[in-house]
This record gives sequence, structure tokens and C-alpha cells, in this order.
Amino acid sequence: MSLRVEGLEKHFGTVAAVRGVDLDVPSGTFFTLLGPSGCGKTTILRSIAGIYTPDRGSVKLDGVDVTARPIHARNMALVFQNHALFPHMTAFDNVAFGLRMRRVPRAELRTRVDETLALVRLDGLGARMPAQLSGGQQQRVALARALVVRPSLLLLDEPLSNLDARLRDELRVELRALQHRLGVTTILVTHDIEEAFVLSDRVAVLRAGQIEQIGAPRALYRTPATRFVANFVGPVNEIALASIESIDGTIWGTTDAGLRLRLPQDPPGGAAALAGGPAWLIVRPEQLSVAPGPWSNQFDAVIEDLVYAGAATVCRLRVGGLSLSMQVSGEAVHLTLGAPVSVGWHAADSVVLRDT
Amino acid sequence: MALAYVWPLWQAALNSLHPNTPQGIDAASWTLANFTRLSDPLYTDVLVRTLRISLTVSLIAALVVYPVALRLTRIAPRWQPWVILAFVSPFLVNTVVKSFGWSLLLRGNGLINTALQALHLTDAPLRLMLNETGIIIALVPGHFMFVLLPLWSAIAGIDPALGWAAGTLGARRWQVFRHVILPLTWPALVTGLVINFIMNMTAFAAPAILGGARTLVVSVLAYQVNLQQLDWPFGSAIAVALLVFTLALVGIGQKLAVWRR
Repeated sequence: MSLRVEGLEKHFGTVAAVRGVDLDVPSGTFFTLLGPSGCGKTTILRSIAGIYTPDRGSVKLDGVDVTARPIHARNMALVFQNHALFPHMTAFDNVAFGLRMRRVPRAELRTRVDETLALVRLDGLGARMPAQLSGGQQQRVALARALVVRPSLLLLDEPLSNLDARLRDELRVELRALQHRLGVTTILVTHDIEEAFVLSDRVAVLRAGQIEQIGAPRALYRTPATRFVANFVGPVNEIALASIESIDGTIWGTTDAGLRLRLPQDPPGGAAALAGGPAWLIVRPEQLSVAPGPWSNQFDAVIEDLVYAGAATVCRLRVGGLSLSMQVSGEAVHLTLGAPVSVGWHAADSVVLRDT
Repeated sequence: MALAYVWPLWQAALNSLHPNTPQGIDAASWTLANFTRLSDPLYTDVLVRTLRISLTVSLIAALVVYPVALRLTRIAPRWQPWVILAFVSPFLVNTVVKSFGWSLLLRGNGLINTALQALHLTDAPLRLMLNETGIIIALVPGHFMFVLLPLWSAIAGIDPALGWAAGTLGARRWQVFRHVILPLTWPALVTGLVINFIMNMTAFAAPAILGGARTLVVSVLAYQVNLQQLDWPFGSAIAVALLVFTLALVGIGQKLAVWRR
């Protein structure tokens, strides 16, 4: 079932948690609300579920306005960060709860619960109480409880945040496989960029109750629309440009220190959009390289710091008056502290942004 | 400290096993006569009346406590301490003073009867005191907080996500109550009712003042026997009997405190 949210607004007392949000989620897709704590993503999710009544705006399922419908009449299922399993019921009874509320006959209920427990790899554990299950198992029960009722919309409120890193990765993969298999329209709320990228078809980055950008993960990463998005989805180098000019068809930017940089030649909005006052050039650490050129931008640099992080090494470089971060894969044995190097990047890999 | 508490009880228990004589307690001989005397209908009536009053007050409390507690959890946190104070305040007033206050309201020519007759809702004054009704009327609000506070605390301690989870799965409000709130707060409810029951069984001032001479409860009877008739062994026997009965019912209550489907 497809979801459309229009003009959603919600405030608590004087705090405006959601300030005008529009979402469009096609049926069967995986959509993520991504943002830092307090950005309003959980409020949006709960408003979709009916836990909160929006002050303004509407929630539509397949075109039908459900904004006024109570929680129990929306056929959506919500999986919480702390699993919210009923502590006084067994895993089986927890999963069966939704079916019992729908008065599903006993035989069918039993089959469906057993099937769903098997789907989340918990067969045989139905008789256990939540307190007797591990964190990962508890979260799987919560997932099973949500899936067994065949909801029109599956809502996930940071379901993996309370788990340790390895378990999180494991469940992430399972979640992705499950969603593809079942084709249920899913909305995830998270602050974890990797999670959002791995699982989603589209992501909305939120800040202070409003959407900064919506797009496929690749689009958000390679062509962020604002500095907030650029910074949020991954490490960046932000180079302040004092001025931008177009000379003989090539667009150049100049830093305060006078360094001249080639900018992306086909910016969205055309070259004219870039001309003018101060802006920021955004280039990702992994797009810098000390490999031999030719690079559209290439400068002499000195290595100030090397930080080894297993699969990659982060290198701090000084270029003119700038401090840049470069990422190379592996151990970077060819780099030594204090050594002079030549670093470059392609203008086409960078982005120019103007917001404050 | 435990010794200071237990020793008088122990003495009373001992006293109940000695006969009483005009010269005082005959500590040399032992008897069960004080206890067999309790089987006289005169005294069993008193026990039954006490049980009836106590259970009625507890029952009323049990019926009212969930709606009240649920309503209270929806009050803004800012006002909650004041509401708690309102429910606790009867207990802050001396129970004798409170009971006299009730008698002013409940008397034949008291505030309530005067108002009812002035509004032509009754022709003659209602007998609201010097009977069991008066005692019940005074004990219900007086002891309500013993059930309310533990239950309110238990309800407030339930993760709101449980109610939301149940809701998204299709549970209506009454189903959320039946399947989530009730099972999880049941132990607190039963414990609170047990305490309420004990307070009812051992209440003294309210039954003494509002019950009158012809509506005796066990605590008032013990008072009369000990301090008016000066028959301490028998008075002790009454006290021991009250203790045993109350503990027995508390024991049953403990068993019921575990939620079973």
C-alpha cells in the first residue's frame, strides 16, 4: 500500500517537532527517515501510526485519508526501539496478539504464528518469555509480531539501535531480505547513515522538523542539496570559496588564501547559478588521491596525521592554508608523516553549495 | 526495635491463656476459656460484622480504583503532586477529629440530611450513622489511598510503548486495559487491597464514633473489654483472634496476587 503524507505539522506545547513535511512512499518500497535526535522523525512515524494526532496535514494510504482513524483501525504495525514485547506473555502469545485481536480462528492462528516465527529464525522458541530471550531474539519476536498481521505499512522506530554492532549488521541483512521477499511498504526511522543506505530505496534527511532532502542514497551522498545533508551522510571536506567566476568557459573558485580550484563544470542550475558570492566546495575524503594524475585539481601537500582504522586510513593533509582529510583503503604504507605529497581530485566529484 | 514491637504482642498472647479473677490475672493457671468464650454468638456476630464492613469497603475501593487511577495518569505531571496530596490529605487529619467531622455531616439533623430535605429529595432524615453505613461511608475515602497509590504507581510504570504496540495490533482501549494494564498491575492492586483490608479490620475511631454502642466491631469490643470491663485476658484473646483472622485473609490475598490467565 502506498503512503502519502501532506503538510504534516505537530507541536508539543511550544516546541514545534514537525514543521510541514510531505512524503510520498510508493507501495512495496523501503523508505527511511534519517536525522539526528530531535529532528522530528519519530514524531512523524508516530503520527503516521496514529499515536499522535497531527495539528495539520494528512496521512493517506492508497489515496484514502486515514488521518482521523484511531490507531487500531489503520492496519499498520510498529516495531519499537525497545521491542515493547508484552512481558507477561510468551513469545508465541506476543506474536499471536494481533491475530487474536482480529479474531483469527485458532488453527489458522497457530499456523501463521509458527510460520512467522520460522521466518525470523525463531522456530521452537515460542514458549519462552521475553525475559528469557536475548536482545536479538527479542527484536525478532517484535518483528514477527508486526509481520504476522500482514500490515499495509510496516513502521520501524530505530529497531536495531539497542543491539551491538555485529547483531545489528546481521539483523539488517535479514530485515532487507524479509522486506524484499514480503514486499511490504516499510518506513524506517534511524540516525544511522549506514543502516539507512543499506536498507532503503529512498531516504529523507530531516533537520529540526523539516525535510532537507529526499532521494536515493547515492543521490544524497554524491549530490547533497545542503551543507547539513553533506555533513550528515558522511565525512566531508568543506572548502570556503570567497568568490566564483567563469573564465573562458571554465568555472573557478578562489579561497580566502588565494588558492584557485576548478569547480564542477555542469552544476545543477547552470554556471550562472554559481557565479557570485561566498560558497562552499564539498569533496569527500575518499575522492582525494595521491595517485599520479592527471587530476582537474592538484596541489602540493604535507601529511600532518595518519589514522589507521582497519579497512581504511584517514590522512590529514595541509594544502596551502587548508586542512583536508583524505581516505585511502587499507594500511597506506606508502604514506609517511611529514612527507610532501601531491594530492588531487576531480572537479566532477565535488559539489558547490551555497546555504548558510 | 523488633523486640519492642513483638514483646507486648507476646505478653497479650500469654495473658489470653490465663483466667481472669476479681483480684487480677491469675498467672499461675492456664486456660482456653477465653477463646472458647469467643464462640458465643454475641462475639461471632461482632467478627462477622467487622468482616462484612471491611470487605464492603475493600470492594468499593476495588471497583473505583481503576477508573480513578487511569484518569489520574492522564493529568499533566505538573498537577500530579497536588492530586496525590488531595487523596492523602484525609490521612493527615487525626482520625478522631475526622470521625467527628463525619458525624456532623451524617447526623439526623446534620448537613446532608438538612440539604436533602430542603431539596425535597427525602421526607424524613436518613439513618446515615450509628449503623454500618456510617462506618463504611467514613472508611471508604479514609483508606482509599492505600489502594490508589500503589496502583497508580504501577500504571505509571508501564512503558507507554506497550499500549501503543497493542493499539497498532488492533486492540481497542478496553482491550489494552484487559490484556496489558490489568495483568501488569494486578499484583499492585491486590497488595493495595490487602493493606486497605487490614486498615479496615483494625480501624477504631470511625467505628467507635460513627457506629455507636450497638454496632460493635472487634477493635471497639476489645477496647470495651480491656478498658471498661478490665478483663484483660479476654481482651487479649479478642486481639489474638483478630490478628489470626486478618493474617489468614492476608495470606489468601498474597496467593491471589499472582496473575494467572
